[in-house]
Amino acid sequence: MITYQSQRVAYPYFVIALLLFGLQVVMGIWLAINYSFTLPQGLVDVFPFATARAFHTNLLVLWMLLGFMGGTYFMVPEETRSELFSTKLAYLQLILLVGAGVAALVGFLFGWTQGRPLLEIPFELDLVVVVGALIFLFNVAMTMIKAKNWTMIQGTLLGGLIMLALLYLFGIPFYRNLSIDWYYWWWVIHLWVEGAWELVTSAIMAWILIQITGVPRQTVEKWLYVEIGLFMFTGLAGTGHHYYWLGAPRYWLWVGGIFSALEPLPILFMLWDTFKHVRERQKPITNPLVWTLAVGLAIYHFIGAGLWGFIHTLPQINYYTHGSQVTVSHGHMAFFGAYALLNLTMFYYAFPRLKGIDRFKQNLGTWGFWITGIAMFLMGLAFGVAGVLQSYLERVLGLGYMTTHLQMQLWFKIVIVCGLFFLAGVIIIIYDLLRMRPAEAKTA
Amino acid sequence: MTTRTAKIIFYVGTLSSAILFLTLTVDTHRQIEALTNADQLSDDVVAGKKVFEKHNCNDCHTILGFGGYYSPDLTRVYSRRGEDYIRKSVSQPEVVYANSFRKMPQQHLSPQEIDHLIAFFQWVDKIDTHDWPPQDSKRRIPSGARRLMEGATLSSGAALFKESGCFDCHALAGVGGTTGPALDSVGLKLDVDGIRNYIQNPMAANPEALMPAPDLPESDAEAIAQFLARQRGER
Repeated sequence: MITYQSQRVAYPYFVIALLLFGLQVVMGIWLAINYSFTLPQGLVDVFPFATARAFHTNLLVLWMLLGFMGGTYFMVPEETRSELFSTKLAYLQLILLVGAGVAALVGFLFGWTQGRPLLEIPFELDLVVVVGALIFLFNVAMTMIKAKNWTMIQGTLLGGLIMLALLYLFGIPFYRNLSIDWYYWWWVIHLWVEGAWELVTSAIMAWILIQITGVPRQTVEKWLYVEIGLFMFTGLAGTGHHYYWLGAPRYWLWVGGIFSALEPLPILFMLWDTFKHVRERQKPITNPLVWTLAVGLAIYHFIGAGLWGFIHTLPQINYYTHGSQVTVSHGHMAFFGAYALLNLTMFYYAFPRLKGIDRFKQNLGTWGFWITGIAMFLMGLAFGVAGVLQSYLERVLGLGYMTTHLQMQLWFKIVIVCGLFFLAGVIIIIYDLLRMRPAEAKTA
Repeated sequence: MTTRTAKIIFYVGTLSSAILFLTLTVDTHRQIEALTNADQLSDDVVAGKKVFEKHNCNDCHTILGFGGYYSPDLTRVYSRRGEDYIRKSVSQPEVVYANSFRKMPQQHLSPQEIDHLIAFFQWVDKIDTHDWPPQDSKRRIPSGARRLMEGATLSSGAALFKESGCFDCHALAGVGGTTGPALDSVGLKLDVDGIRNYIQNPMAANPEALMPAPDLPESDAEAIAQFLARQRGER
C-alpha cells in the first residue's frame, strides 16, 4: 500500500540496517566478555578489544544511518507527492556505503584504521562515504525541488541531513594538536547526535505522527518549530559539556554546564507533544505496535538521552564520572532510546506498507520491543552501578585502574546476561519484520 | 501559540546558540595554544600521535577521558608511570601483564615508534585539563594516599614508598598495581638488608626482575626497606 513505486528503495536499506544491528549486538556481547574474563594473550594479539570496539561502534553508526536514509527515501515521496528523483542513484548510494562499511570492517581486522574512536575508517574510505552522502543529498534535494511542494517537515529533514553531511567533514583531517583533534571530533559526534540526528528524528517522528494520528499538519508543524528551536538552542552550545577537561578555556565549564542542563527540555517537549497528538488522534489504531514504539521512543529518549545525560553533565559531577562506565551507561541508553527505537518505529510503520499488509500480527514484535527495552534498561543500570563504583574507587579514593575494575566484575557479568536477552529481543524483531504476516491470514 | 511565534522561537534559539558557540570556538583557538603548550608540539610529538592512532590505542585506552573505557586513561601516564614503564609495557606487554586480569596486545612497535609515543605522552601530560583526572590531581590528595601520609608520621618509609611510585606496580592491602608482586608479606621472605639490596639493584638480586632500579638516595632505600620488612602479612 505504498503510493509511490520509488518508495520501494527503502526496503533494502532497512533489511541491511537490521542485519548490521544484529551483528552490532553480537559484537557488544563479545566486548562485555572481554571486560568480564581474562582472555589468552594469543587471542588478544590478533583480535584485541580495540578492534571489536571499532566494529561495535561503526556498525552502530552504519546501521542507524542506513535506517535514516531508508526512512527518508520512504517518506520523501509521500511528503513531496512525487516519485524520487532517481531510484538508480539510491541503489548506487547503498552499494557505495555498504561497500565502504564492509571494506572498513575487514580493514580493521588487518589494522587498517585512522585510529580515532568512532571515526576509525581510513581517509580513502571517508571519500567513498562523502560521495555516497553527496549522492543521497542530491537525490533527496532534487526530489523536493522538482516536486515544489515544500513543507516544514521536508525543510527540517533536508536541513538535518545537510548538517549531518557537513559536520562529517570535520572528522576527516589529521590534527597535530590532540586537544584540537578532540574539539572537532565532537563537532561530528555531539553535533550529530544532539543536533543533526535530532532534526532528522523530529522530522521523521512528526511525519509518522501525522500519518498515524491524523492530527492536522499545521498543529504538528507548529510544535515542530518550537521543538527543533529548543534542540538547536541547547544542543549547539551544549557541545561545551565535552570541552571541560580537554585543554580548552575554563568558560566551557559554565557554558557547557548551563546549556546541557537545559538539554532535556526539548526531549521533554517531544514527549509531551507525542502524548498530546496521540490523545487527540483522529484515526483508528490499526497497528498498536507502531503506537507503542512511538510512545516508547518518546519516553526512552527522555530517560536515556535527557535524564541520563543530565545527571552527569554538571561539571562538578562530570569531573569524577568523565570517561568512566557512567558514560557507557548513558551512551547505551541514549542511542537505544533515541535512535534505535526511532529506526524500529519507522521499520514497523513502513514494512507492512512495503509488503502490502494492512494489519500485521503484533505478538512477536511486541515481545521484541519489551524484551529489548527492559534488557537495555537493566544493562544501562548495570553499567551505571559499575560507573559509580569506578568514579568513587578510582577517582575519589585513588585506587589503581585494574584494582577498581576487579571490584566492578559482577556488574559486567550482569551486562553479559542483559546483552543475551537484548540479542534475543533483536533476533525476534529481525525475524518478525522480515517474515511479517497479515493478522487476518489463516494458517492452513 | 501561533505558527509565527513558533518560527521566531526556532530562529532566535538556533541563531543565538550558534553565534555563542562559534564565537567561543574562535576564542578557544586563541587560548588553546597556551593551554596545551602548542609551542612544544615537535615533529616527534606529532609522530607519536600518529603511532598512537596507527595502533588504535585509543579504542582500549581513553586519553583526556575520550576513547575506549577498557584500559587506564593515558592523559597523565607520563608522570604516573614514567618513561621506563611505558617502554616496557609497550614493548613486552605479554611479560609485563602476564599476571594481569586484563591483557594488552603485542603490537610490535619499533624502538623509534616507542620513542615518539613517549614524546607524545610527555607533551599530553602537560596539557592544562583543569586538574583532570582527579586521581592524578596534585591539588587534591586521594584519601587512600592521605591515610598513608598520616602513617608517614610514624614511618617515613611508607610515605617514600608512595612518593617513589612503588604503588604503580606493587600492591599493599589490595591497593596498587599488579605488574609486580603484592608486598603484604614481603617481610616474611626478606629482611631489611635483603629488601634494600633488591631495591638498589633488582637485577643483581633476581636476574629476571622487570623492576627498574629506582634512582633513590641510600637513606630513602633504607627507610623503604625498613617499612617493607614490617609487612608480614598481618592484615
